Amino acid sequence: MESEIFDVVIVGSGIAGSVLAKTLTQAGKRVLLLEAGLQAGAELRPEEAFATYQHYVETFHDKAIPATNGPYPDIPEAPSPNVLQIQAATPYYTGYLVQKGPLPFASDCLRAPGGTTLHWLGNVPRMLPNDFKMKTLYGQGVDWPISYEDLVPYYELAEREIGVAGDVAAQRGPDMGRDDYGADYVFPMLEIPPSYQDQVWKLRSQNLTVMLDGEPYVVDCVSMPQGRNSIPNPRYRPGAIVWDKQIGRFVIDHETPTYPVTGSLWSPYTGERCEGNASCVPICPVQAKYNALKTLKKADQRRLTIVTQAVASKLLIDRQTGEVTGIEYKRYRSLEDPTYETHTATGRLYVLAGSALENPKLLLASDAANSSDQVGRNLMDHMVMLAWGLFPEKVYPYRGPGCTTYIPTFRDGAFRKDFAAWISPLDNWGWSWPTGAPGSDVSTAVGTLGLFGKALRDYIADRVTRQALLHFECEQLPEPDNRITIDPQYIDVLGNPRPVIHYDASPYMRKSFAAAKKVATQIFAANGIEDFTEYKPSDADYVTWEGNGYTFEGAGHIVGTHRMGNDPKTSVVKPSQQCWDHPNLYLVGCGNMPTLGTSNPTLTMTALTFMAAESILKQLEGVRQ
Amino acid sequence: MSALLKSARVPGRKRQSLLPPYGPKLAAGRRMPVELLRRHFQTAVELEHSTLPPYLCALYSMDEQRNRFAYAAVQGVAMEEMLHMVQAANILVAIGGTPALNTPHFIPEYPTYLPHSDKAFLVPLQKFSPETLEIFLKIEKPAADCAPPEPNHYHTIGQFYAALRDNIVAWGDEIFTGDPRWQIGPDHYYGGGGQIIPVYNASDAVEAINQIVGQGEGIDGTIEDSDHVLFGEEIEYAHYFRFNEIVEARRYRPGDSAHLPPTGAPVEVDWQSALNFRPNPKLADYPVGSPLWQATLDFNKIYMKLLNAIQVACTGRPNYVLDAVPLMYELKYKAIALMNMPLGNAEQQTAGPSFEYVPI
Repeated sequence: MESEIFDVVIVGSGIAGSVLAKTLTQAGKRVLLLEAGLQAGAELRPEEAFATYQHYVETFHDKAIPATNGPYPDIPEAPSPNVLQIQAATPYYTGYLVQKGPLPFASDCLRAPGGTTLHWLGNVPRMLPNDFKMKTLYGQGVDWPISYEDLVPYYELAEREIGVAGDVAAQRGPDMGRDDYGADYVFPMLEIPPSYQDQVWKLRSQNLTVMLDGEPYVVDCVSMPQGRNSIPNPRYRPGAIVWDKQIGRFVIDHETPTYPVTGSLWSPYTGERCEGNASCVPICPVQAKYNALKTLKKADQRRLTIVTQAVASKLLIDRQTGEVTGIEYKRYRSLEDPTYETHTATGRLYVLAGSALENPKLLLASDAANSSDQVGRNLMDHMVMLAWGLFPEKVYPYRGPGCTTYIPTFRDGAFRKDFAAWISPLDNWGWSWPTGAPGSDVSTAVGTLGLFGKALRDYIADRVTRQALLHFECEQLPEPDNRITIDPQYIDVLGNPRPVIHYDASPYMRKSFAAAKKVATQIFAANGIEDFTEYKPSDADYVTWEGNGYTFEGAGHIVGTHRMGNDPKTSVVKPSQQCWDHPNLYLVGCGNMPTLGTSNPTLTMTALTFMAAESILKQLEGVRQ
Repeated sequence: MSALLKSARVPGRKRQSLLPPYGPKLAAGRRMPVELLRRHFQTAVELEHSTLPPYLCALYSMDEQRNRFAYAAVQGVAMEEMLHMVQAANILVAIGGTPALNTPHFIPEYPTYLPHSDKAFLVPLQKFSPETLEIFLKIEKPAADCAPPEPNHYHTIGQFYAALRDNIVAWGDEIFTGDPRWQIGPDHYYGGGGQIIPVYNASDAVEAINQIVGQGEGIDGTIEDSDHVLFGEEIEYAHYFRFNEIVEARRYRPGDSAHLPPTGAPVEVDWQSALNFRPNPKLADYPVGSPLWQATLDFNKIYMKLLNAIQVACTGRPNYVLDAVPLMYELKYKAIALMNMPLGNAEQQTAGPSFEYVPI
């Protein structure tokens, strides 16, 4: 390995790393991909891929509380955060994350081949044009160095790669409409049909006027674009994404035969459509949901070397030139055996494609890319406030994927000067998130109420089928003190640092919880929903605002820790996603995002990665940028 | 629609050139009247369907966790048979016929001879067992290289289709008078063991027949199926050889001879864990109104719903194929429930799915 020179060394095989591995190898570049997770997870041949994935599915079935990372191996040598380890009292050091507080950071991600796309939900709305101009428009956060318009062609590439199912015409709301996509644009696949309960929600929520701070807002319910397979849209032109060296951009080759639906890793005829299994998070049993391994499998395998169980531990840097000269990694033997050998990967260019926890951790451990002192800062997530209640009638949650409809009404508005915007997905999973339903309902029925037989069945059939959940994903702003650091006191079994996190909810966030709760109350009232929402001071992320208490959860949208910008003094990477400090080092992933908007970040991050891939190819081919 | 179909069909067309093109030699055969050809394609639909209940019975009786290899093989074959059934219906529709999938005699009475076959062996509904697999091997036996095409009383399915293909070629495009909107395409049909080919002309029909025969028996005396030739997929072995791997408890290796046992790695096959249902269950086995009778009737109703959905889909409303997907799941759950209902007999057998016509 050490004797071989690669064009590009990539750390991490999540969606960013896989998109790069695919596009760069297909453009003729030789790529070394380092992945911290287990070899079994990177097997792409059908039989092995099937065996690994079935093991994940069985593990999921066997766990009473699987949570987001439950189906996947918990690797001591490459630990992942675990949402089941979150505690209310900070500081604590018991999990992978060292939680300094004052509030615990409540999100996780997954270190495994394919990354967090294994457990992601797959919602892929675009960010709004105004999301890129928060400072200019609302005096909050920062502006992006690029605009929505700059990103549009890359959104289209990302939507092609992921295979988005959705209805473009339905993407409306404040600051979003047909024109933002282009008059003729369609997604590769038709929308996933709305779940039954969404149709009930819409009956009394569509066009409902709610009041907030004396202002009327009209609630809209629109179809959620999703990274899961559906019926191909006949108006979409299939084609392969290819590198055009002459113009230095990706173009679509419509001549290459392609079918817009990518089935499972083990069979093109499994997972061709979403089958309505409701377990998208943590695992789609048929792989109708996109995951990054589908992209990785399309890489030119002749030019791709994947080394698994390889945990990048340090960037080697020539301090005179700033050039990265290698990436040191520790290759451990197995899940059970942390014995490791240290190797150095070398290439012409280097890319860190880890999560917004792992990238800054590695940079800090290497004293790299940090002349701005921004590495690890501006840690953001959607702070998710939940509201739950019982519908008067049965709405049958768990029919279909996790979310097929969302409320865009509060994604943008003048209120962003005062409090955070949010998106409200209509959740299709009953009370599973706030209460652990339906298991907790069975416990209550049997343990507390002493029910059995028909009375038990009737109780469950009445209660579980009426459970309503609405949630509010509030946009956290960049704040320098919400951050990841490292500390030699806290290391994992390989001696690599664990992320040390400082985290809090600002008044801007708390005020948005209060506003969202007012909206929830009005929507519930209009639907005749009996409100069972309860925020307890014992909850991990319980906060107060103006005398009232609110609890937020993590969304798993970890962003911002090595942001892009136009100024090397306040950002870590250039708009090209090359580090200001190191001419042959690129960072990709959610860490590059200067602000979060109200979109699930994967689509935007994938679009940015296609942009980065062009920059990398141009640099490799000596094109002036 | 047409743009999609065109683009989705590109790989098939390009790959098609890898197979020997049909030409004057094959076209020299005598043509049968179109009405007779339509009847034969209805037979093809019935033939493809007739293997489904036996394959599904074996599949549903298996413990997927303890028999992963065999389960995947039988499931894969069953899915391809479903595809073949709809594919044959597409051809029938294309030549102006109307398939009938939900009539009283569409489902054979098991044990049954394969429709229009030489009656060499009976096909029963029974659990996954070595005896069952021996019958599956007989069903999927490849045509001997020299076997002539036989439209009636064929010895192998390949012979039967070869005869139909020759007639299609002899007629050419003039008999393709069906409504093209009735064709079921890949936007409707999915997850079923291959990509469905909409049929608009003789070339499409030949491609479709090649897929049916190739998946079942292999191509040109190899152990591999035609999908990787037609669609550029990873190699998957033809039905006969997938079943033979189970019987021999050993995998084939690429390049193994079709006439010799597999020489690859051994696999574990657990015959003992199969649910022990009494072969060839019948609704009439049980007292009317009894729980076993009710569960069997409920199963048959789901099966009829499934056939109805496919019938509607094949006769002008392709979208109805989508209705078949949840029904397939329901069918499986009901079959497994039956296989867990003991009969209380000395053999400690259970009830099972009877696959009988019931009016709904």
